[in-house]
This record gives sequence, structure tokens and C-alpha cells, in this order.
Amino acid sequence: MTYVLQTDDVAIHYGGVKALDGVSITLEKGQIRGLIGPNGAGKSTVIDAITGRRPLTRGRVTLGGEDVSALGVVQRRQRGLSRSFQRTSVFGQMPVRKQVELASYKMGTADPGADADDVLRELSLDTLGDAIAADLGYGEQRRLDLAIALVGSPTVLLLDEPMAGLSVKESLDLAQHLKALALRRHVSVLLVEHDMDVVFGISDVVTVFELGRVIAQGLPAEVRADPRVREAYLGSAA
Amino acid sequence: MSSLSVSRLMMLTVLALALGLGVSMLVGSGTVLSLLTQATIYAVFALGVGLLLRQNGMVSFGHALYFGSAGYIVAIALQTHAMAAEWAILVAVLGLTLFGFVIGLVIVRVPGVAFGMLTLAVGQMAYLTASRSRGLTGGADGMSVEWPNTLFGVSSNLLFKPASLMLISWTVLVLLLLGLALGLRGRFGAITEAARDNEERARFIGIQTLVPRAAVYALSAGVTAVAGVLAALNTGFVSPEALHWSLSGVALMMVVVGGTRVLWGPALGAAIYFLAKDVLGDHAQHWMAIFGTALIVVIVFAPEGLSGLLNRLLGLKPSGGAGHAGSASAHH
Repeated sequence: MTYVLQTDDVAIHYGGVKALDGVSITLEKGQIRGLIGPNGAGKSTVIDAITGRRPLTRGRVTLGGEDVSALGVVQRRQRGLSRSFQRTSVFGQMPVRKQVELASYKMGTADPGADADDVLRELSLDTLGDAIAADLGYGEQRRLDLAIALVGSPTVLLLDEPMAGLSVKESLDLAQHLKALALRRHVSVLLVEHDMDVVFGISDVVTVFELGRVIAQGLPAEVRADPRVREAYLGSAA
Repeated sequence: MSSLSVSRLMMLTVLALALGLGVSMLVGSGTVLSLLTQATIYAVFALGVGLLLRQNGMVSFGHALYFGSAGYIVAIALQTHAMAAEWAILVAVLGLTLFGFVIGLVIVRVPGVAFGMLTLAVGQMAYLTASRSRGLTGGADGMSVEWPNTLFGVSSNLLFKPASLMLISWTVLVLLLLGLALGLRGRFGAITEAARDNEERARFIGIQTLVPRAAVYALSAGVTAVAGVLAALNTGFVSPEALHWSLSGVALMMVVVGGTRVLWGPALGAAIYFLAKDVLGDHAQHWMAIFGTALIVVIVFAPEGLSGLLNRLLGLKPSGGAGHAGSASAHH
């Protein structure tokens, strides 16, 4: 079967440091895959490798059957790959709606205005369309970051700790919201998240990282029961 | 991007043009008219420098390069009878815009202070070249611009009257403001703002940032070149001083005092610079100390510049085109 996204034996080394060392993961259409692992396990580096932000030392990234390993950030986005950022990354001095509409326009959407309004409404940002991004509260900026990633009908969405810095209630709200959005917009999601409840709550499958390698993957229940995972990660949390 | 509607923008333009016509006809004093002309020419210069800060978030210490070079290109073209004056003007402005684009493709990649230093270096190279090429440019003495008897069908008797020069400069300023206001409210404006605020995220929404940023640099070079042509028309003379970095510095001060939150901010800064200097009269030998103090006061108490302050006092909506206020986003 063809996956919407696939990495084969992807490695990124910085000098002697193996940030990623042979990572192979897949994403099926409409699937939500959660990525978990302790700090420094290489979760964010996987996202950087897939989006083209960091060059690969080894391996291959395939998007919808096409090898995109040699392509830049912009070309990968044009092929339907979109991402949000762990540290909020929005256009500080631009009005909210204008930047979301621009992101949609750049993806060749027929009606970027309507697309932007849709996404803003779904993320409860519709009343803030004219506000300057820098004037928004933290939670609103997080949602704006997501809105910029969601417009333009991406096929694959990479979310790098979208709940970072939110309260438990906000996180769970946003998680349910994201799940509904992914279903409605037919987008496959790779979700990196610290919050275990969120990851196990909304993911169809879960991948566990440790020291740049995959140590387990499967259904949430299986992963939760895996003794190696308990030892490496959950042990300290449980 | 301005929050003004197109029809209001047109109305303001017509009003501004009428104001210029009125002033040029009603003000009898040649001294006052020539002061206004000078202020207007520098307003165009500052508009060019401000455009770079507003749309690219970049500070140039070398825009005198485009101001002085425009004058030299016209002067040399006329002296060598290479082309008609009208063509020389066109070549100066378009040629420098194109030059700015090519240079821009290289230097806008360089961030922050290093970019400022590069602009300074390129500008000073032009200054030294003009100072040393005695044969072609008259060296440090400068050279006169031998305007023909008619320009664009207007006789030089009429053209070089103080009132005409003032009217021409003002009209050019107003039309440039209109053109930029209209041009920047579309996609190009939004794309450059996105690249300015957060270049990395801009790439992640599919924007190739280099060309738009170089285009803004080119546009700002072109606007500054227009100011250089106006200055050559006004004084009939060009010297290496017009290329010197200190002139770039003065233009930058006008931009900071005026602010870049609104498009006309730098023009306001230039007007204040010249009018205040004139009002001070005899104390003008301490001018730089006085203006320097004013600069500090503005930076501390109204970091958006006087135009931003005015806008706030008048209760207008802040526009999306802020220049250097910094973004809340993560740069890596």
C-alpha cells in the first residue's frame, strides 16, 4: 500500500551526535500518529527531517509515493506537507486573517478568503481577524500557528507540540478539536506531544522514540503495555 | 497595509495635489519655496529608505548611493550628449532600480548589522569613485547638470522657477505615496510583510523569500533615485557629498523621527527636519546636537515615530505594515 508519508532509515548526525539514527515510520491516509519519547529522543528532529529544515545524513522521505528527500522546504509545502511549530511562529505584525489568507493563497486555494474564514472559525479565532498577531494572548497565538498550518488543504500535517504551554484543560480541548479538524479536512497528522494523555487520547497509532531510534510502535494500548516503553519513558512518569 | 479604502486614498491624493498647487501659486517668497522644495525632495529620499525598513525590516546606511548616483548618471549623460535629458532621467531611475535588484539578491541574505555595514561599504565605494574620477565627475568639486532648454516639452524658464520646482517635487512625492500605497496593499505587500516578520515561517507557508525581499530593496533604491533626479533638477549640480554615508545617516534619522508604521511617516520626518532647522535659524550651527536630542526623545517616548504617535492620538487603527517593532515569533 502507498502511505501518504513514509520515512526510510532516516538519519541525521551532527558530527558525532546521532540525533536520528535509522528512523522508519509511515502514515496512512486519515491517520493520526503520535510521536512520544523523552527529551532529546529526536521527536522534533524527525519533523525537521520530514519538512526539509535539516538535511538528511542518510535515508529517504517519501510523500504520496514521491521521493522528496532532495527538495527544499517550499517545494515540500507545495506538495501538501504542512507543519506547526513548538515555539509559536506567526507573523507578529500582520493582522490574523491576512496571514492565514496569505498562507492559503500560497497553496493555490481557489478562494483563500473563504478557506481562511473557515479555519479561523474552527479554531475560534474568527472574532480576531483584524487583530495584530503580536497583540494576541499565548493560547490564541498557538491556535493561529495551527491555523496557518491548516489552511490550503494540506495532505499531511506535522504538529510539533501544539499543546506546549497550555493548561491541561486547554490541551484536552484543543486535542479534541484537532482530531475533529483532521477528520473533517481529510488530513493525516503526525503529532509530537509531551502530554501523554493527549497522545494516547487522540492518536490512532503511537511511535516511541529513544535516543534517535524507534523503540516501539503500534496501537496506543499495545504501546502502553510494552515493557521497554514503560522502562524507557512511562516508568518515570507513572 | 493601509486601512484606507481606495476611494478615500484617491480623495486624499487629489487634496494633496491641490494643496501643492495652491502653495506653489500663493507663496511668493522664493526662499520659502526653495525650502519647501528641499524638504519635499528629502521626503522622497526618506520614503525610499523608510520603505526598506517598513517592508523588509532592514536598515540601510548606504542609500545616498542611489541618491547621488541618479544625479551623476543624468549629469554625465547630458555632459557627454549620450542621450536626451528625458531618457537620461528614465535610465537613471530604472537603471538604479535594476542595479538595486541585482545587488539586493546578494545583500538581503545578510542579516542585521552586517547588512547595514555592507550597504555602507557599497555606498562609500561609490563616494570614493566619484571623488577620485576628476576627468569624468569633476572629483571633489562636483559637476553641474547641463539641463537642456526644454524638458518634457516645458521650457526651462518656466521649469526652473522656484514655484515650479516645488510643485514638481510635491507632485512626484504624492504620486509615489499613492503608487506605493496601492502597490503594497496587494499580494506583494503581504508576502514581503510575512518575509519581514518571520522569514522561516514564510518559507514554511510556501514563500520563496529572496526575490520579494530583493524587489523591496530595488523599489526603495528606485524611489531614492527619483529623489536624486529631483535634487539634480533643483540645484543643477551634483557632488560626491550626495553619495556620502553621512547623507544616508540623515535620511535614516528622518525615517526614525517620522516612523514607518504609516507610509508617509518618513516624509513627515523629512519635513520636520528641514522646517525645524529653518525655524532655529541662527542656532542652526548646533543643529545636529538639537536634532540628535530630538531623535533620542522620539526613540524613547514614541518608538513608532511621530507618524505613529499622531495616528495613535487621532485614534486611527494601527496598520499592518509596521517596520521594526519586532515580532513575537521565533527566529532561528
